Amino acid sequence: MAAITLSELTKVYATGVKALDSLDLEVADGEFVVLVGPSGCGKTTALRMVAGLELITSGTVSFGDRVVNGVSPRHRDVAMVFQNYALYPHLSVYQNIGFALENKKVAKAERDRRIRDAAAILGLTKLLGRKPQQLSGGQRQRVAMGRAIVREPSVFLMDEPLSNLDAKLRVQMRSEVLRIHESVGAATMYVTHDQTEAMTMGDRVAVLQGGVLQQYDTPRSLYDHPANVFVATFIGSPAMNLYEAGLEAAGPAGTPTVVLGSQRLELPAPAAVRVAAFGGRKVLVGIRPEDLTVTGSGSVLVADVRFIEVLGSEQHVYFSIDATRAGAGGGGTAVVADESAEASILLGSAPNGAARLDPRVAVQPGGRITFTLDPARLYFFDPDTGQAITG
Amino acid sequence: MTATLTPPDAAEVQLAESRKDRRRRERLEERDGVIPVQLYGLKRGTVSVMTICCVLFAIFTLVPIAWIIINSTKTQANIFGTFGFWFARPFELFHNFRMLFEDVDDDGTYINWFGNTALYAVLGGVGATALAAFAGYGFARFQFRGSKVFFYIVIGALLVPIGAITLPLYLVYAKAHLINSIWGMILPSLVSPVGVYLMRTYIGLSVPRELIDAARIDGAGETRIFFRIALPLMVPGLMTVLLLSVVGVWNNYFLPLIIFSNNNLFPLTVGMGLWSQHATTSGDQNLYPLIVMGGLVTIAPLIILFLILQRYWRGGMLLGSIAN
Repeated sequence: MAAITLSELTKVYATGVKALDSLDLEVADGEFVVLVGPSGCGKTTALRMVAGLELITSGTVSFGDRVVNGVSPRHRDVAMVFQNYALYPHLSVYQNIGFALENKKVAKAERDRRIRDAAAILGLTKLLGRKPQQLSGGQRQRVAMGRAIVREPSVFLMDEPLSNLDAKLRVQMRSEVLRIHESVGAATMYVTHDQTEAMTMGDRVAVLQGGVLQQYDTPRSLYDHPANVFVATFIGSPAMNLYEAGLEAAGPAGTPTVVLGSQRLELPAPAAVRVAAFGGRKVLVGIRPEDLTVTGSGSVLVADVRFIEVLGSEQHVYFSIDATRAGAGGGGTAVVADESAEASILLGSAPNGAARLDPRVAVQPGGRITFTLDPARLYFFDPDTGQAITG
Repeated sequence: MTATLTPPDAAEVQLAESRKDRRRRERLEERDGVIPVQLYGLKRGTVSVMTICCVLFAIFTLVPIAWIIINSTKTQANIFGTFGFWFARPFELFHNFRMLFEDVDDDGTYINWFGNTALYAVLGGVGATALAAFAGYGFARFQFRGSKVFFYIVIGALLVPIGAITLPLYLVYAKAHLINSIWGMILPSLVSPVGVYLMRTYIGLSVPRELIDAARIDGAGETRIFFRIALPLMVPGLMTVLLLSVVGVWNNYFLPLIIFSNNNLFPLTVGMGLWSQHATTSGDQNLYPLIVMGGLVTIAPLIILFLILQRYWRGGMLLGSIAN
């Protein structure tokens, strides 16, 4: 049985804004689930509804088999880490961590032991007497974590807990949060807008957009089998290249062909079967930047190099081809870029694709590059619905 | 819960600075903060003119206080017969002070009025502050049916001058038997629209919703959240409201004037007014030194209260609570 079950959870604000639309989600005991999406996608609203801080318009939140819709936050026994930490400024670190236990009327000796245990896990022992204002950002963040883990909760909620830390500390805290999760073992819902956090931390990741759940799966499958255009372009950096393309039905030679602008890519058998139903029609073709290489074998794609970002361990080559770029619209649907408008603004020099290459490959901005790619690695989406074509 | 994660960094080992060190640091920081006026893009002449204006205004404000201090040391003859802004022999400060607390005539004594004023001011001031804290918190942090309308009514009450409601108040009091009752003085003093308005604004800025949410998640009830989490953060605001209400009650003249006919219930304002009247109608009573000294003793507690409370205006209570 799932530790947390959200069933058709919906939030409509008085202004008529639908923040969350019929969200179904299950979090297993001890599982670490990440809710990710752009700002305003409803992820924080969902978390606050689980915490009991936000009124539920319709649907249910259950812990185990108990529906907790009408239960006040103080009786839900959830622990939560807030984005801004929300430490009590007038209380010491010790009192901040112990406040929940004080409320529960835990005996003083037991309380002391648990506060010190939590402080030890987080390396806060020497800071117990300090006030929040005497702490650095990372230390405050750990106090906020301590306040949550001292409760030994069965449900653990985190609302962008790392977003206020600098980049280096954020990476370090990612693994700390996971280690704490392992030692606490509670079902955890973690909200972030950072897809790297989502991919590296989540057992499963729920991608939300416009209040609608787009896909709920392991990070691996989100990346390899995105359910729609939104997930495909949201997960991965640089984002997946997405183009409008024609699909020529299998000719006498027996292989269907993708027509990408003026270039043609022949599809091998398995991929061809998948898109067979779309033969002769338009599709959206997705190419992951790392699937474009200059060394491998496969189909050939020629592009004009616009500019290059060298990151040390790799380089991102931004190029343009004469195909029409597409992107994600609302509700996972696809939007085809208005090439003429874009071109008039950027004087035709805007790149419409990116490739991730080995930094030792010599590439000249303004030059021409010949990529090779395995057509089996192409992604196909229905241009009308934005959904992946799975055959 | 046994695993230990990253060891604390060096900054954590440094102990909290002592109060003395902090004062020293603050003094030095203040000195660092002094920037020559040229860097503000101001001309020297502009600065001089503004400084002169400020000095003139300060003199204008301080002159009456200087006058009252100087003249509290004089005899009645010297008050009228010597230069008002300098001392004259004999030096009667202590004599005047002693006389103030002796029974001057049958009007009732100064000490009695002083006690009345203190009682009304403390009960009214503390009560008004408490009610403002509750109401301000309610308006700032809870949404309930009619919360906006009620708050507009509070704001509306700010605009009604006390003189306009005194007559109806008197009629209500007459019916409620509150004439010549200390409750007649205290009950209206408990209501402070300014206080409610100030507290709502202050709480809106200094008690973040997230803190209240965090306390709810931590299992605290609403009463406990108010007293344990919100109230300590409201202290600077509360001190402002306390000072305003105490000063308001302390200086209130019109309300006690109409509701008290019994001299023993008078506060200082009305009592001093009575003395003043006596002094003008029967000139021989040697009352003027007492009126001057009485005025000085009347304002002294407010000045002391202000000096005590001003340390709460330092602010910065929220530092460290919310990131950035």
